[in-house]
Amino acid sequence: MSGFLGPLELDGRVPPGQQTRIAAFLISAHGALARQFAFTLPVRLDAAWQTELNAQFYRETEIVSLLMRATSWTPDFALGYMVAPWETAWLPAPIDGIPDPRLAQAVHLATLAHAVHAGIRPAALLPIEANVQDPFVSALRRIEFESSRLLQSQILFLKGTDLAPHRDAVSAALEQRHAAVRKLWREVLGSIGIDAAGSE
Amino acid sequence: MPFLNHGSYRIRYELDGPARAPAYVFVNGLTQYSELWGAYREALLTRGFRVATFDLLGQGVSDKPTLFISQDDQVAALRRLIEALGEGPVFLSGISFGGLIALRYAIEHGQRLSGLVPMSCFAELTPQLLLLGNALRTGLILGGTGYLQDLLLPMNLSDQWLKPLLDKLDSVKRQGWLVNDVYALQNLMESFLDFQPLTPHLSAISAPTMILNGEFDFLTPRHLHETLRVEIPNSSLVIIPKAYHAFTLEKGALTADLLARFADDVLGGRWQGNQAVWIAPEEPGGELTPFPDGYDHLRAIPVKRALA
Repeated sequence: MSGFLGPLELDGRVPPGQQTRIAAFLISAHGALARQFAFTLPVRLDAAWQTELNAQFYRETEIVSLLMRATSWTPDFALGYMVAPWETAWLPAPIDGIPDPRLAQAVHLATLAHAVHAGIRPAALLPIEANVQDPFVSALRRIEFESSRLLQSQILFLKGTDLAPHRDAVSAALEQRHAAVRKLWREVLGSIGIDAAGSE
Repeated sequence: MPFLNHGSYRIRYELDGPARAPAYVFVNGLTQYSELWGAYREALLTRGFRVATFDLLGQGVSDKPTLFISQDDQVAALRRLIEALGEGPVFLSGISFGGLIALRYAIEHGQRLSGLVPMSCFAELTPQLLLLGNALRTGLILGGTGYLQDLLLPMNLSDQWLKPLLDKLDSVKRQGWLVNDVYALQNLMESFLDFQPLTPHLSAISAPTMILNGEFDFLTPRHLHETLRVEIPNSSLVIIPKAYHAFTLEKGALTADLLARFADDVLGGRWQGNQAVWIAPEEPGGELTPFPDGYDHLRAIPVKRALA
């Protein structure tokens, strides 16, 4: 079992079956983030930090749009039962130690976004031989690069002074989120013949 | 692949060599991973040593705490590893960030060490180092691990090393890019946000200490190593000719030879630190020469040392 996508097709493209499974998972995760940022985004911005919410919403939407267009889709009936646990995993979960529901909701969204942006590295799945002219290859690289940028606002918020009194609770929630997201990612990769140990 | 447990985290390590042999333990620099000590493993095993390497928390295959990594945890993990070695003599060596962790271990648990080798190391964040560190962190944030590597490679390695690799730098960087995650590297860098200088504590290090500094180290220049030489009682400073910050990558055979000779001298009762300044040979097996008497080893031009 390899740690990379492939065997590649003769022209260096990722097989459509693998593209479909990877793209479906990433669309599910980033789509969930886009929806949740959309619900959080006020119609009119009242504070400077809310401009970041706007940026996050549009970047997540861009990732979904990019994957929809860059992927060579192929029918994949297994997705029918795979999607349900993914979508369930993105739902808000209670966070022990943070009784304020508004703060808990913000921590939920930030921990989920941190886990998706930091814990999933799609470009690390690409073998050296992958065709750089392939839009799917380019999309995976772009998503990983953008994720590391998007991650910064989650890091700033989760490490920030507002959450300093809740540091242990935040750290525990984030570790749990990472573990849950990585488990799903590992399962997706395992389902297309990839050993996920080196791709998390 | 063996792991040690530190709290809820797992530390990946590798240990080779005879159980009762003197051990060398290596601590990685910031963007490194255990496999980069491979040449040292081979060289030191051949000379009868035991060799232990590991990935720090946040590096390589060790667990990567998601939000905070404290340097205290790194020292505690290192302590676990050294405890696992048993009773034999232990020589501890670390480079750059890893050198700092090794210094902290030596300050807190120095009685366990037979010898210490800080390489390309520092005990304080001088204004230059602080600003460079901030700039590297910003580079990581804006450009990812690849951009950080792009900054570090020309800063820390010589033209001679880089020139034949110029058209294959991507493959040089790839493994480091694969095993290092942006958030984990950022957490490692941000473990300096509450950093307190180690200088006041260096005098507590009683183990024989050989400080290695590349002649052309730009990132951690000579005066940062001078602090270690002056403050650590049983130390010597050894300058590696024509070497940069990452001389452990570039001059592995020479460095491994110096490490083996240091340990042999200590175990043979021949080591005398005397806070002396030496110049290493350019090739393994060559003689170390004392820095010319009366000249200032902190200068890059031959200037007579001011009388104290």
